[in-house]
Amino acid sequence: MPVAAAKAERLWFCVYLPKLPLEACGPGNEALAVIEEQQGVHRVLLAGDSARAAGVLPGQSPNAALALMPTLELEERSVIREQQVLELLATWLEQFSSFVCIAGPDVLLLEIAGSLRLFDGLKSLRRQIATGLEAQGFEASLAIAPTPLAATWLARGRRRACIREPANVMAALRGLPLSCLDWPSTVLDSLAGMGITDLGDCLRLPREGFARRFGVKRLLQLDRALGRLPDPRNSWRAPERFCADFEMTEEQSDRESLLAICLELLRAHEQFLLARQLGTQRLLFTFFHLKAKATSLPLGGSRADRAADHWYELLRLRFEKLALPEPVIAIRLRGGTTQALHGASGRLAFHGQAPREHYYSMSQLAERLAARIGNESVHGINAVADHRPQYAWSTRDLFAAQAAEALTRVRQGIERPLWLLPEPELLSTDNGHPLHRGKLRFVSGPERLETGWWDEHGIARDYYTAVSPRGAGLWVFRNRDRQGGGEAAWYLHGIFG
Amino acid sequence: MRRVRYAELHALSNFTFLRGASHPEELVETAAALGYEALAITDECSMSGVVRAHMAAKDLGLKLIIGSELRLQSGRKLVVLAQNRSGYAALCRLITRARRAAEKGSYALTRSLFEEGLPDCIVLWVPDEALVLDVEDHWIRETFRDRLWIAVELLADGRQAKRLDALREIGRRLRLPLVASGDVHMHRRSRRVLQDTLTAIRKGVTVDQAGFLLYANGERHLRSLEVLQHFYPGELLQETVRIAASIDFSLDELRYEYPDEIVPAGDTPASYLRKLTERGMRERWPGGVSQKVMRLVEHELRLIAELRYEPYFLTVYDIVGFARSKGILCQGRGSAANSAVCFCLGITEVDPARMETLVERFISRERNEPPDIDVDFEHERREEVIQYIYAKYGRDRAALAATVITYRPRSALRDAGKALGLSDLQVGHLARSMQWWDGKRVDDSRVIEAGLDPGSPVIRRLLYLVSELIGFPRHLSQHVGGFVISNGPMSELVPIENAAMKERTVIQWEKDDLEDLGLLKVDVLGLGMLTAIRRSFDLIRAFDGRQYTLATVPAEDPVVYDMICEGDTMGVFQIESRAQMAMLPRLRPRCYYDLVIEVAIIRPGPIQGDMVHPYLRRRNGEEAVDYPSEEVKGVLQRTLGVPIFQEQVMALAVVAAGFTPGEADRLRRAMAAWKRRGGLGPFEDKLIDGMRQRGYSEEFARQIFRQIEGFGEYGFPESHSASFALLVYVSCWLKRHTPAAFTCALLNSQPMGFYAASQLVQDLRRHGVGVRGVDINRSSWDCSLEEGGDGAAVLRLGFRMVKGLSEETGQRIAARRGAGVYESTQQLLERTGLDRRELEALASAGALRALEGHRHRARWAVAGAEKPGGLFASMDRFEATPLLRKPTEGQDIVADYKSIGLTLERHPMYLVRHRLDRYRYVQAERLRDMPTGRAVNVAGLVITKQRPGTASGVTFVTLEDETGHINLVVWKHVAERDRAALLNARLMGVRGELQVESNVIHVIARKLVDHTPMLGDLEVRSRDFR
Repeated sequence: MPVAAAKAERLWFCVYLPKLPLEACGPGNEALAVIEEQQGVHRVLLAGDSARAAGVLPGQSPNAALALMPTLELEERSVIREQQVLELLATWLEQFSSFVCIAGPDVLLLEIAGSLRLFDGLKSLRRQIATGLEAQGFEASLAIAPTPLAATWLARGRRRACIREPANVMAALRGLPLSCLDWPSTVLDSLAGMGITDLGDCLRLPREGFARRFGVKRLLQLDRALGRLPDPRNSWRAPERFCADFEMTEEQSDRESLLAICLELLRAHEQFLLARQLGTQRLLFTFFHLKAKATSLPLGGSRADRAADHWYELLRLRFEKLALPEPVIAIRLRGGTTQALHGASGRLAFHGQAPREHYYSMSQLAERLAARIGNESVHGINAVADHRPQYAWSTRDLFAAQAAEALTRVRQGIERPLWLLPEPELLSTDNGHPLHRGKLRFVSGPERLETGWWDEHGIARDYYTAVSPRGAGLWVFRNRDRQGGGEAAWYLHGIFG
Repeated sequence: MRRVRYAELHALSNFTFLRGASHPEELVETAAALGYEALAITDECSMSGVVRAHMAAKDLGLKLIIGSELRLQSGRKLVVLAQNRSGYAALCRLITRARRAAEKGSYALTRSLFEEGLPDCIVLWVPDEALVLDVEDHWIRETFRDRLWIAVELLADGRQAKRLDALREIGRRLRLPLVASGDVHMHRRSRRVLQDTLTAIRKGVTVDQAGFLLYANGERHLRSLEVLQHFYPGELLQETVRIAASIDFSLDELRYEYPDEIVPAGDTPASYLRKLTERGMRERWPGGVSQKVMRLVEHELRLIAELRYEPYFLTVYDIVGFARSKGILCQGRGSAANSAVCFCLGITEVDPARMETLVERFISRERNEPPDIDVDFEHERREEVIQYIYAKYGRDRAALAATVITYRPRSALRDAGKALGLSDLQVGHLARSMQWWDGKRVDDSRVIEAGLDPGSPVIRRLLYLVSELIGFPRHLSQHVGGFVISNGPMSELVPIENAAMKERTVIQWEKDDLEDLGLLKVDVLGLGMLTAIRRSFDLIRAFDGRQYTLATVPAEDPVVYDMICEGDTMGVFQIESRAQMAMLPRLRPRCYYDLVIEVAIIRPGPIQGDMVHPYLRRRNGEEAVDYPSEEVKGVLQRTLGVPIFQEQVMALAVVAAGFTPGEADRLRRAMAAWKRRGGLGPFEDKLIDGMRQRGYSEEFARQIFRQIEGFGEYGFPESHSASFALLVYVSCWLKRHTPAAFTCALLNSQPMGFYAASQLVQDLRRHGVGVRGVDINRSSWDCSLEEGGDGAAVLRLGFRMVKGLSEETGQRIAARRGAGVYESTQQLLERTGLDRRELEALASAGALRALEGHRHRARWAVAGAEKPGGLFASMDRFEATPLLRKPTEGQDIVADYKSIGLTLERHPMYLVRHRLDRYRYVQAERLRDMPTGRAVNVAGLVITKQRPGTASGVTFVTLEDETGHINLVVWKHVAERDRAALLNARLMGVRGELQVESNVIHVIARKLVDHTPMLGDLEVRSRDFR
């Protein structure tokens, strides 16, 4: 039996994803090109297989690419999307190692010294990862080396390297082109101008001269890659969601006691979020019973928050009306999706000492109302800037993410009935004059509305305010586009209160 | 019922950019058709649209009122109408001051601008919706009291009755009369769709987001008298007519007055011009003036006197005189420029004796059009001339004409698409299909090809909007060099506003407007070739003392024409393009007038009109020259019966179709614009009918009309061609006799011309002239001449060729070097204070060879250089020197191209030739010995790609190998099949067929192959032309 490697030895497995921007767009990306804006103009960053076969190349303008392949689909690069994909992959890779880190926009690193035995040796581990990535549709370049940087550079250099001995690192790196390093192009250009294009040339340069020209940082980086200096990394962990159960020793039906337990859970939740500088917009309480199905109580706020007191107040309002079929044996609190919380943190930091607010903000009022009568029953009313009466107002979900501000301008002196019929009602006429329980008398008008041609609901109408013989104030119109000639029909559209 | 009468006093045209939705002409035509008494064009703080309206109104006999809508900073809206010439002047002055006080495109009207009042103007006050009066309104009342009306604009918003009552009440209280007006934004209701779109574009929103920014209805159009009568009380309509009747002003009253200072005291313009002309005559012909010239000059002077154009000639003379005094080379062109008088005045160097055919036609007495003289100056020194004009006449009397930038298919598509909420990408898809835009519609198949559904309502709306939007003005820009100089303040003639360029102003009219009103302008243009020629003259003088001017370059030198006939013209003026080069061996110019034709014939106009080949056949005696009539013969004889020049087309319209000279001139302008504005329509009938009536065959008439259409905007006037031909000849003479100086001057005048520095230098070396690299101890900023081994001039590249080095730095390096040399990089650094980036630029260019040896060592040295006074500067550094490999020839070539865009090493093709061997590619020079029709394979660097609009679907590609150029013809089907190679290849291989015709060699491509990967890092950029 060979002697086991020294305990401190580490082995790094690098997964480099050269086509991540393309692959992050999902499967079926053969006829796709990812474009990226550089200095104000869009350029092709990466192209799928069939696009490449048609001559679409990185650096082309979208128009040139389209000229080569009219059916080409173009997608704007999304770094966020790539990051999400990287995180998914990092999670998946955690089955192979307890230490996974995201080491760049397209690089993942695993520390595998401890995993080798578990996965039946290096070859088998490598095969499992390679197969898994391929099955998920990723083209990856894999390399193994005793230092994270060496593994990364070898992977970027597309060397299927597997270096286990630190002593062999130098030899493996020597032939690598400098473009495998993530050094800025100015540095690479400068080195290329000296005829230095691979790592071997670079390592032969006098250390002092190199450091003076290209920075100590880069010299140290070379040392780290060679294992002359330590290169500690942070492991990546999937972001957590709060979830905690409180199990009681006996069934509990006293509402105040239950609320007290809930408050405890909320405080734990606050601590959890506080440590991570996060907040959430939704919570879910679940009350477990011995026999009956569990009762759930979702809470939602109009903005992200973590303060236990805030959530507790909302909870109290809803809890009053909550019907519990049986006593409760356990309570679970699950936090919703978290988001970074800015601004209000001051108040939280001085929790307890901050002056109490004596008024309800609009959002708090809405939350309270919703808590009392349920989310479905509270709407916002948007004044919609549109000349067309049927669009003049609309409802919106209060708790949806804030909609883009419409261009609203208050229009003065416009007469609009408060009661608008859902559909205009055809009026009978007498000699072209509209009737509604008798002949109508016009009070004012016409107000001519001709607009909305940009969708399928354009109108061209003359509106009048009229009074019926019974004294009702009516809002009537007639269409200006007369199809087939003849007299235009009259419609009733609203009634003045 | 008694017929009502009405004058619209408040109407915006589309020169109120992105508000008005109709052309001025459309408004005028509609107002006339509706029977209006008068129409006021009142664009917002602008007079840009009034000349067009004026011309249209004159044709239709409609009374046009000139005015402007003004919004005060307080938000109050006024409409000001000029009652007479002095009111017009006051209004122009006000607009000028408001415009000058604000950023380009906007204006700022404060109360203080009204201190001098607005004499002789009528003011309509358009109260806002609120109708609450405050101190500002009282100020308006007090400022304009007895010339002020309240404008009542009833626009079917449902409150018209209330509003009328309220305005009447205000009128009673303030004792102001009321008048009807329409707030017109369009000539007819259906334009509201476009008007909404313009609003959305202006506000940067989509139409469905625009909400109340849009008008609720389309009432702001020119409404019929019946409708107006329905809305307005009769007395308010009657009042419009009263106001209109009190206005007595027409743009025809504007008289151009020339500046006084061009004539010295004691002289009249006529006597002074005669004096100058006679003096010039003696200088031009020191041996005595021939009777013929004397008669010619007399004739011209008489005509000039009759039309009173002396001050114009004197103005141009003055500007040219300034340029000459500063050693700025210049040359006039245009009809009047080729007169004997202009030759005597030194405005042109084209000797009328050389050009017998031109002089008779330099000014048309009948047309009474202002004479046309454009003056080209060295492009780098034109600014000095412009500053002189400003300084001499003052900024209030000299200004640049405007160019109205209008919507083109692509910009219309982009803006309309955005307003409809389409994404950039979707619009981009469609924009490509705009190449097939025919002015009215896009073919459905093109829309489908762009991946969009032509039947979808959004696309239908978009295409409709685009067709309406094309030709709409978007903003004013400055004309390239059209100057107007006035005697009185310019701002009383036309408003002046700020241009985009700092310290520049433009008037609100463009060139055509000025011509329409008979105002004169002088075009001050920049021309790169003049710069190059002047530099050549300077270089020759400095090198061997020979002195030349445009006039003294030996004329009609046969060896120069020999060179031209061989198509050996890279770098010269005009005839250096590939199409021109290909034409030269066929046309075989042997004299000056041949060059005049050559310059004009290889242009899109004559090519599209199919005039090139008939001319060639006739010139080579392969086709008989015949004329349908004596009159036509008179016009076309000098071009062998083929109309080549713009003047000939106009003359044909006169002699063959019975046009008046005025009509012919309108035809010329319609020709220039028909693609943009649409419609040679009325001219087509008139021309063809006119020719048939005069006994010409229908076929001949159609052919002439087709040629006119083909001419389009590209028809080239003989009078310009004549001046250009002189520069063609001079540049060819320089290239033939002093190639080093000529190429040096071209390099120092870059960017200009058709070819990159690399091609120019290679061409020079092929002609046996030595070229030396950039050297820290020998180069100046500019390229320069050095004495070669045999005493002949050789070219030394200057620091200007080095990428990343500024002129200031380059000058400093040369200046601090003085008579000595830099002995080390450290010394260079200490003396010049260059930064590391600049040193790297020099090292990359190979300029430090003398100090550091090869490039790699130079780069290492400069990367470590420390500025004097820096942290480590005083420390002695004993730094280990690394062993750096010497660059290979390939690396040097790559680095050369990267830094100076050319190499003095071997051609890059040497590096790849051995790898290309298996493809059996033939070198360019060997093509000359091969028969036409032979199958050949060629390869080279792609240096130009050109897809002219005239050659249907053909792409012309020029390849360069180590022995010369190879001209490819790539037909459409090959281009489409191998489009990846065509688009991407920097090193291209071609299988094709040789085509040789009168010494012109082409390779017709059958298959294109992309060999670019073989080049590695070599940066070669193709110059692409359309």
